[in-house]
Amino acid sequence: MIEMLHPAARTYAGIPGYVFGWLAFSVAVLFFAHVMRKRYILLKAGRADPRLEKIWERLKGFFVFGILQRRQPRYLWAGIIHIVIFWGFVVLGLRSIDLLTQALGMPVLGLLMDRSAEAFYGLMRDIAEICVLVACLWAMGRRFIARPKRYEGSSHTEAYIVLGLISFLMITDIGYDAIGLVIEGGNGDNFAPASGFASLFFQETGPSFLRSGHALAFWLHILAFLFFLCFLPMGKHFHIITALPNVFLRRLAKGSVKPVRWDVQGLEEIEKIGVSRIEDFTWKQLLDLFTCTECGRCTDRCPAFSAGRPLSPKSLTMKLRDHAYGMFPLFGRSPAAGDKEDADEEERREIFGNILTEEEIWSCTTCGACEEECPVFIEYIDKIIDMRRNLIETSNAPRAFNQVFMHLEKTGNPFGKPPSKRSAWASELEGMSVRVLKEGDETDILYYVDSYPSYDPRAQSVAAAVVRTLNLAGVEFGILGPKEKDSGHQVRRMGEEGLFQLLMEENMETLKGIKFKKIVTTDPHAYNTLRNDYSIKFQVLHYSMLMNSLMEQGLLKPKRDVEPGIYTYHDPCYLGRHNGIYDEPRRLLKSLPGLKLVEMERSRDRSFCCGGGDIILWHEISSEKERPAGIRINMARKAGAGVIVTSCPFCLMHFEDAIKTAGLEWELKVVDLAELVVSTL
Amino acid sequence: MTGDILVFVEQRAGSVREVSYQLLSKANQICAELSVRLTAVFIGPKASFLSSDFYKKADRVLVLEDERFGDFNCEIARDVMVGIIKEQRPAMVLVGHTPWGMDLAPAIAAKTGLPLSTDCVDIKIEAGKVKAVRQLYGGKLFARVVFKDESKGCIFTVRPGSFSVEGYPDRMGEIVPIEAPKDLPEPSSRFVEYVDTGAGEVDITQAELLVSIGRGVGEKERIEEIQELARILGGVVSCSRPVVDKGWLPKYHQVGTSGKSVKPKVYLALGISGAFQHVAGIAGAGTVIAVNKDKKAPIFRVADYGVADDLFAFSDAIKKALKK
Amino acid sequence: MDIVVCVKRVPFTQEVDLEIDRSKRFVATESLAHVINDWDSYAVEEAILLKEKLGGEVTAVTVGSEDDEEVLRRALAMGADRAVRIESGGMPMDGTVVAGILASVIRNIPCDLVLTGVQADDDNQAVVGVTLAELLGLSHAAVVRGIEVSGADIVARIELEGGVDEIRRLRLPALLTIQTGINEPRYVSVMGIRKASKKELKVIDVKELGLSQNDLVPPTEIEEIYLPADTGGAEMLKGDPSVVAEAVIDIMRRKGVAL
Repeated sequence: MIEMLHPAARTYAGIPGYVFGWLAFSVAVLFFAHVMRKRYILLKAGRADPRLEKIWERLKGFFVFGILQRRQPRYLWAGIIHIVIFWGFVVLGLRSIDLLTQALGMPVLGLLMDRSAEAFYGLMRDIAEICVLVACLWAMGRRFIARPKRYEGSSHTEAYIVLGLISFLMITDIGYDAIGLVIEGGNGDNFAPASGFASLFFQETGPSFLRSGHALAFWLHILAFLFFLCFLPMGKHFHIITALPNVFLRRLAKGSVKPVRWDVQGLEEIEKIGVSRIEDFTWKQLLDLFTCTECGRCTDRCPAFSAGRPLSPKSLTMKLRDHAYGMFPLFGRSPAAGDKEDADEEERREIFGNILTEEEIWSCTTCGACEEECPVFIEYIDKIIDMRRNLIETSNAPRAFNQVFMHLEKTGNPFGKPPSKRSAWASELEGMSVRVLKEGDETDILYYVDSYPSYDPRAQSVAAAVVRTLNLAGVEFGILGPKEKDSGHQVRRMGEEGLFQLLMEENMETLKGIKFKKIVTTDPHAYNTLRNDYSIKFQVLHYSMLMNSLMEQGLLKPKRDVEPGIYTYHDPCYLGRHNGIYDEPRRLLKSLPGLKLVEMERSRDRSFCCGGGDIILWHEISSEKERPAGIRINMARKAGAGVIVTSCPFCLMHFEDAIKTAGLEWELKVVDLAELVVSTL
Repeated sequence: MTGDILVFVEQRAGSVREVSYQLLSKANQICAELSVRLTAVFIGPKASFLSSDFYKKADRVLVLEDERFGDFNCEIARDVMVGIIKEQRPAMVLVGHTPWGMDLAPAIAAKTGLPLSTDCVDIKIEAGKVKAVRQLYGGKLFARVVFKDESKGCIFTVRPGSFSVEGYPDRMGEIVPIEAPKDLPEPSSRFVEYVDTGAGEVDITQAELLVSIGRGVGEKERIEEIQELARILGGVVSCSRPVVDKGWLPKYHQVGTSGKSVKPKVYLALGISGAFQHVAGIAGAGTVIAVNKDKKAPIFRVADYGVADDLFAFSDAIKKALKK
Repeated sequence: MDIVVCVKRVPFTQEVDLEIDRSKRFVATESLAHVINDWDSYAVEEAILLKEKLGGEVTAVTVGSEDDEEVLRRALAMGADRAVRIESGGMPMDGTVVAGILASVIRNIPCDLVLTGVQADDDNQAVVGVTLAELLGLSHAAVVRGIEVSGADIVARIELEGGVDEIRRLRLPALLTIQTGINEPRYVSVMGIRKASKKELKVIDVKELGLSQNDLVPPTEIEEIYLPADTGGAEMLKGDPSVVAEAVIDIMRRKGVAL
């Protein structure tokens, strides 16, 4: 046992260690508090966003996604590394507080733990330190050698600094303990594997060196820790503080789009619609920006990015974050405070033209792959739609939209075709009659056809198949006919909120006049909008769900086998990811005789968007290298499939186009689920 | 009905416009029917006047030759015509429905108080009453128009191409020089110059095969697929007006009255509805093959062959067929 | 530069089978959607572009019923400063009558330039613009596809036939009838139009204008409206796209192209 004073109790040049401890602590706390205050001011500048409803669900999510880190292993090794570091930190939190209080000359924790608890904790601590150290080294090596593609554009410097810092913290702590063990005389009491092992290196070291080494390790650790604390809110590691709150405050309402303003009722009352400056976002959207870890999982899954469009969700978030920090700097006055006189400064506050391009914003298909991956639950879609809203209001949307919006407003469909012809497809069906419901009518199922299946020849066959199936199952149903207007799904996500509300109100008015039990839609977009966007909560089913239930009830009796081939099911974004319907279509498929089903590598919540059922129909992104649908059909081929089954008319159209463009008509076919079911009846 | 049939003759840069011959031809028919005099009005240099023989197509040609007004000046033309109308009280005044005619005729009507029917495709006299036939809703409907009071005369602008130029024996051809109205105020508008927008990288009037696109192509970015089709077929890309209006192609590709008249051996009209201003530009085409999703599109009335299909599906099918 | 733009609300007839009413003199338009006349939307956009470049105010004017205010609100949302609607009481009008009504109102609006569309989507007449100019004593040009302001003059690019334009210099105040394609009319959202209702929209009854009976009786009248005769038309090629494609290639080759 060597005589020794605790490093905080020793004096250095006559000054007791804890004085330096307090000094360093105060500086760090002041700086940290200053930065946090600036970040808080940034958040306060954002708009209102109520996030405290359904506390119980939030707590559950907090536990599952925040504590158990359930999304992390979706990228397996990176996930494991992160979970190790995360849990390591949880365990080591106590240790850090302990050391800090020691540095301040107030070692309270020692008083709270008895010897056995201390020994147990020491073991946990050491194991954690080894694991964290190994994880950090692995992470650094992986980043440096394997260079995962999704890290491109992320800050490597910051990553290495932090990983290095954490490793340094581990090493200095182990060193401190190791030397401490030697100083104490190293009895075999403590089962501290790390420090025990490291202490072997110091067995021959002389006392004065041991004392110095002890103090050095201690203070280096304290300084590194305090530095780390101050470094956190400066970059992507702010997520260490904000991630858990962000997960708790996450959006619960899947599938819908946020209202233009949470705190203002009535679209007409809102002076500025949409976002063009950083402070137009809500505080939660700004919190998202703090929380981005630059992991790149979002971009890795983004179909727009894969197609070569200028959109990268990660890059979008990083750019907005940097812009936000620039507008609310740590030192100096904020360019975003109030209206300025300098026209140039005002100009620089605008997002478009400075930070983001409009094509980036129009590139998004709102498929939700990014939000499904993000381990810290950043919301991308609402931000993009908010920005689109402002572009539309300021007449900065692609001109191709003008006609489409005008047609939707005036004729209730994007083609500009007369409403009187909306149910013409139904009257042309052979051997079947379709009831067109009038006000006051009653029915079991209201079949909401929507615009494309009503007017587009290819999509009309899907509607015909649905009708045929319903007839064969003896279901009582009717359609709205000319009074049906477009569900407004595309319009809302393109950013024309006023037009969406117009369509929604007109549709709800029509629907209110009819008695029905459930609505069935042809297309997942209508399903999503009627279910999640409309202010009246209807009971809505997608046709695949209804058909599956009819099949399970025995009301549909397949007589024929399907055409021979290997089938695969493509999960449409608005049925799958946004609404969680993965199993029913598959059960339906499996009930068809002779059907061999394989799964694509990216299926279910990892399904790859076909390109979408809105913007891409009218506006091409010029930098696109390959169509998303083209990429997807190759995934089907890779899975060994010869037939792609879809349950969305837009997916159907995009895949048919892609197959034709690629000249793969002899190898691949695409068929709609309804048409497939009918072929067996 | 007494009173002359008065025809305003349009000349541009010294040559008489085709529509004026068409008007004279129709006027001749009316004059023969009503036994009235055919008077033409010409403003421009005598040299150009004499270089064509149109004056023989009228009984009288009132000629205003004034170096101030060699090019069309609406105010001068209006004042001249108004003067003649007030003095001579013609039964009908015929003007071409051209950009100049659209500027001139309503001005004459406003100043004289005579009733005006524009863009007529036919003029009839039934039971002593003058009736005009014109189109509504871009050609979807026809309307027969009558005047409340035609006793003091009436004015028509006639759509070019409505009447054909038919040979008929020369009329008197008396040339009557007239003078510019005295105390003529300085006209508030002045001709500056002509600009030929037709010059471009491609001369669609020389092509034997034109692959022409209309609004149906949907978006600028898809034009490339049709340009490729044209390349494969050995043709040239042209278009209808909406494509130029939207800035998808430069104006020298435009076929129609405000664009170019073309006479290819084959004219492939893809996604073109067939508005008459466009159709007027292909009057001289050999064979017209039209492709349009809408089976009721007016283009199918004038085409030789029709395909009711999406133009891109058609284009892809052609490309595939040729690959074999 | 203060500008007045005249706008008209017309039926949207794309792919609609137009119905002629029993009297055979009118088209049944009540069940149709209505939009701003295509030419007029270019005229409004041009007025706003000039305003953005040169300053001044834009007034939009229409003759019609309350339903027609919709196009005035669109003009306001695009950037016009105020609007005037002249209530016509549903009386029958033709281009000459409309021009006369407009003239009596516009005469009292101080402005440098009046813009109208070349013609309307429904009657395709092309009468109102120039007639209005004459009644107001303005210099005028029809079918304008380009405008430049040069001092006290305006230089108009007029679209003649055959791809030739005429450049004409007119002294202000002037009236121009605007051709499609001169610009790209901006989109205004549904909310944008609703918010525009906060701008001034004055309503004047035609009876207040002191026009004589004569001025309000249309000099022209439609005797009958009828559908065009079905005159044969194209030989339709039917069948699978591949079959049709072969047929078309065959036709082209026989005519001496696509060899």
